[in-house]
Amino acid sequence: MSLVAGSAYLEDPAVLAARAARRPAWLQPAAIGALLGALLALALSWWFVSQQRAERAEDAWNRGVIMQLMAVADAAAAVERRDGTGAEQALQGLLAELTDGDGHFRVVRLSGSRLLASTAPADRDEAAAPRRLSRDEKWLFDLAQGLRAAVETNVSESVFRRRQVNVEALGQDQMRISLPYFVDGQVAGIVLAERERVLQPSRPSAVAATAGVGLAWLAVGGLVLLRRRQGVSPDPAARNWGLFGAGVLVLAAITAGHGLLELGGLERWQRELTDGLSDRFLELREEAAYLGGSLGVAIDPGRDNRWDVDLFQRELGVIGGDGRLREAVLDADIDARAAGLRKAITGNLGLGLLLFAFFALGAATRTGRALRDNRHAYMYVLPAMFGMLILVFFPFAYGITLSFTEQTALNVGEPITELFVGFSNYLRILGDFQVFRSTAEGAVINYQNFYWTLFITICWTVTNVTVGVTFGMLLALALNTRGLRFTNLYRVLLILPWAIPNYITALIWRGMFHQQFGVINQAIQMFGGEPVAWFDGVFSAFMTGLITNGWLSFPFMMVVILGGLQSISQDMYEAATIDGASKWQQFWQITLPSLKPTIIPAVIISVVWTFNMFNVIYLVSGGEPAGANEILITKAYKIAFEEYRYGYAAAYSVVIFLILMVYGVLQTRLTRATEATTS
Amino acid sequence: MSGQGGRRGRRMQHLGLHVFLVAFSLIAVYPVLWVFTVAFSGQQNLAFVELPPDPGFLDRLRAVAPWPAQFSLRNFVDVLDQQPFLRWMLNSAIVAGLTTVLGVFLACTAAYAFSRFQFPGRRAGMMSFLVSQMFPGTLLLVPIYIIITQWLGLGNSFIGLVLVYSVTAIPFCVWMMKGYFDTIPIEIEESAIMDGASRQVIFFKIILPLAKPAVAVTALFSFMTAWNEFILAATFLEEELKYTAPVGLRFFVGGFSSEWGYFAAGSIIISIPVVFLFLYLQKYLVSGLTAGGVKG
Repeated sequence: MSLVAGSAYLEDPAVLAARAARRPAWLQPAAIGALLGALLALALSWWFVSQQRAERAEDAWNRGVIMQLMAVADAAAAVERRDGTGAEQALQGLLAELTDGDGHFRVVRLSGSRLLASTAPADRDEAAAPRRLSRDEKWLFDLAQGLRAAVETNVSESVFRRRQVNVEALGQDQMRISLPYFVDGQVAGIVLAERERVLQPSRPSAVAATAGVGLAWLAVGGLVLLRRRQGVSPDPAARNWGLFGAGVLVLAAITAGHGLLELGGLERWQRELTDGLSDRFLELREEAAYLGGSLGVAIDPGRDNRWDVDLFQRELGVIGGDGRLREAVLDADIDARAAGLRKAITGNLGLGLLLFAFFALGAATRTGRALRDNRHAYMYVLPAMFGMLILVFFPFAYGITLSFTEQTALNVGEPITELFVGFSNYLRILGDFQVFRSTAEGAVINYQNFYWTLFITICWTVTNVTVGVTFGMLLALALNTRGLRFTNLYRVLLILPWAIPNYITALIWRGMFHQQFGVINQAIQMFGGEPVAWFDGVFSAFMTGLITNGWLSFPFMMVVILGGLQSISQDMYEAATIDGASKWQQFWQITLPSLKPTIIPAVIISVVWTFNMFNVIYLVSGGEPAGANEILITKAYKIAFEEYRYGYAAAYSVVIFLILMVYGVLQTRLTRATEATTS
Repeated sequence: MSGQGGRRGRRMQHLGLHVFLVAFSLIAVYPVLWVFTVAFSGQQNLAFVELPPDPGFLDRLRAVAPWPAQFSLRNFVDVLDQQPFLRWMLNSAIVAGLTTVLGVFLACTAAYAFSRFQFPGRRAGMMSFLVSQMFPGTLLLVPIYIIITQWLGLGNSFIGLVLVYSVTAIPFCVWMMKGYFDTIPIEIEESAIMDGASRQVIFFKIILPLAKPAVAVTALFSFMTAWNEFILAATFLEEELKYTAPVGLRFFVGGFSSEWGYFAAGSIIISIPVVFLFLYLQKYLVSGLTAGGVKG
C-alpha cells in the first residue's frame, strides 16, 4: 500500500557513504554524537552541582539564623526561669543586643499568649513588648501551637517525625524561621526571625564544562580522522564498534574528570561555609555570655554546641562548643552529600552515552533517513500523536508513577521522589483479605474492602450484560418478524433510552426512585405494597443501578442483534422448514450460530462499558449505603477526589487496568479458540 | 402456510408480539414522559399531584400517570431567564464546536497516514491508539488535571477542556476514519500523482471530499462527546458562569438543591439536539463499534 511515498527520496547507500567520506572528520555522526553526548552529560552535571551549591549556601544561611534563634531561645528560657518582674524587660534588651540589625525577631510565650520581646518596627511605643498578643497576631500563637504539637508528637513517639524548626519563604528572599524554646523540658513558647536571605553567589566553573565538551568532540573527531587515514571508509548508518568503544572511554573519562573536579570544588565551598558559620558562632557565644553575665543568668551552648541544630533540633556536632570544626563529622557529612551527586553524575554519563550510541552506531542516520523518506506520513500523524503523547500516554505513565507514592492533596507540592513508598499501596489494596469484620453484633461485611468492591463490580457487570443481551435479543427477534406492522415506530421508541445522554438518564431515575415522591414507590403503593427505601439496603440500591443501566443498555444490544438477524439468509430457514425443523430448533441451530460473530464483539465491548459505567453508579445511588454499592471505578474516583489520596487512587486504578488487561487477553484467546473450532 | 387459518394464526401471533413490544416501548418512553411532566408542571417538586391524606388506587394511578396537574411553561422560561442556563448552553456550544473542528482535523490527518502510508512505527502507533482505550479514566484524571491546570495554566478555561476532549476522542475517530479511507480506491490518488498533484492537494481536494460521510460521522461523534461530558468539566471548571450545560444541570439537583423543574426543563432543551443527531447517526455508530468483529 505504500504508494510512491519515500521511494523517490530514497538514495543509494553507496552514494550516501561516498558523500559522508567527503565530510570533515568532526562532522561525522560519531563526532557529533560525542559532542552532543558530552554536552548533555556535562550540562546536567553542571546544573546538579549548581543546585547543590545553592542548596548548601541556603542551608548554611538557615543554620546561621537557627543558631542565633537557639541562642535567643536559651536566653528566653534563662530569663523566664529567673523570677521577678524585671525579667520581661530584661529579655527585650537582650534580644535587641543579640540580634542587632539582623532583621525582626520576636519571642512569644504560649501561656497567657504574650509577646515577650520584639524588634519588629510595628511593636514600638504603645505596641511595645512585653504585652498580650493582639487579635491580628493570632498566627503567632497558632505557629507556637503547631510547633508544640510537633515536639509533643516527636517526644511521645520517640522518633523525629515532625519538624521542630519551621522555615518558610515569605517572598523573594524574605524568610521566616521559628523554633520552640523549652522551660523545664516543656515547650514554653517560640522565638522567630524574619530576615532577608542574602546568599553569596556561587557557580560551578563554566569554562571547565565547555572545555570538557570540546575535548570530547575533538578526541572522537581525531579518531575518525585517524581511521580514515588507515583507509576505513565510513558508512554513517553502519555500526562501528571500535570507534564506539573508544568514544565511550573518552566520554566516561571526561565526565568522571569533570565530576571529580566539581566535587572537589563543592567540598571547598562547604568548608568555607562551615568556617564562616563557626566564626559566627564564636561571636554569638561571646556576646551571649557577656550579656547573660550582665543580667546574672548563664547563656551557654555547652560543650557539644546545643545551638547548631538541624530542622528536628538535633545537634549536628560539626562545630564544637569551643568553635572548632570536628573534622570527622564534617568529612562524613561531605561524603554523605557527595554520594547523591556521584549517583547523579553516573546517571548523566549514562544519558550522554545513550545519546552518543544513538549517533555513533548509525541509529541517528537511519532515523534521519526514515524521517526524511516518510516525512509526509510523519507530518500527517504528528498532530494526533503529539496530542496523544501529552494528554494520554504521558498521564498514563505519570499515573503509574504516582501509584508507587503516597501523594495526597496535602503534599502535592513535594517532589515525587520523596514520597516513594514502593509497592505498599498495592499491598494495602490486594493484601487486605478482611472482607468480614467481627463486631459485637457478629460478622459484618467491610464495604471498604477491595474484594467486596470487586465482587459487586463483577455482579454488576454480569447481571447488566445478561439483562442487556436477553432483552435485546427478545426485542430484536420480535422486531425481525416478517410482516409485522409499525416496526419502524417501535424501533425509534425503543432506541430512545440510548439516545438520551446517560448522565441525564441517571439523574431522572434518581428522581423516580425517591422514597417519598418517586413514581416507583407510588406504583408499588398503588398495588398495595409498602414504599421501599431504595438507597438504604445493599440489595435494593444494587437494583436501582441495575434497573437504570438495564434500561439504558438494552437498545444497543437490540440494534446490534437486529443488524445480525437481517444479514442471515432466509434460504437457510426455508431449507430447515422443508427438513421439518421446529422453530425452536431453527433458533438454536441457525439463528444463534449465525449471530455469534455479531454478538461476541458486542458483548465484549459492553462488558468493558459496564465495568467502567461511572455515571449510573455515581449519580443514581452514589454507592450508598455506606459505599456498599460502589464499583471499582467510582471507588477509585472517590479515593482521588473525595479523600484526596492521589497515590492510593492511582494504585487502585492500575489494578482496574490490570483486571481489564487480563480480561482482554483471555477474551482474545477465547475468541481465537472458538474461531478455530468453527472454521 | 396457506389459506385463512394460517393468516389468522399469524395475526394472533402478531398480537402477542405487539403486546410485548408496546409494553417495552412504554417502559422505554416512560422516563422521557416523566421528564416532560415535571418540566411542564411549572413546579420544582417530584410529585405530579398532591395526594389526599388517605389515597386510593385511582389517586395513586393519577400520581403515576405522566400528566401534569396543570400545564405551565414557567420552568422553561425561568431556567432560560433567571438561571444562567442560556450562558451554560452557549459555553457547551463553544466547547463542543471547537472540539469538533480540532477533533476532525486530528483524526482525519492521522487516519489518512495510517491508511495510505507504509512507514516505520505504523503498526505500533495504531496498536497504541487501541490500547489507550483501555486506560481507566480515573488513572488519567489526576495527571491530566496537573498538566492542564499547573503546567499549561489552562485550568478553568475552555481551551483545556477542548484539548482534552478532542485528544481523548482521537483513537475511536481514527479507527473509524481509517476504515473508510481504506475503501477509497488507491488508483484515484495514483492518477492524481501522475497529474502532478502534491500530497496536500490530494488530501484536501480529493480524499476529504470523497470521505465526506465519514467526516460527518466523526464530526458528530466529537460534538456529542463534548456536549455530553460532565466529569472532566465538573473537575476543571470552577466559576459558575463558565460551567458547561451538563455541569449546570447537576448543579440543579446535586448536593442539597432539588430544583427538579429546572433540571427537567434544562434536560429537555439539552437533549433535543443530541437525541435527533443520535437517531440519525446510530447506524454508523454501531457499524463503527463492531467493525472488525462482524464477518460477512
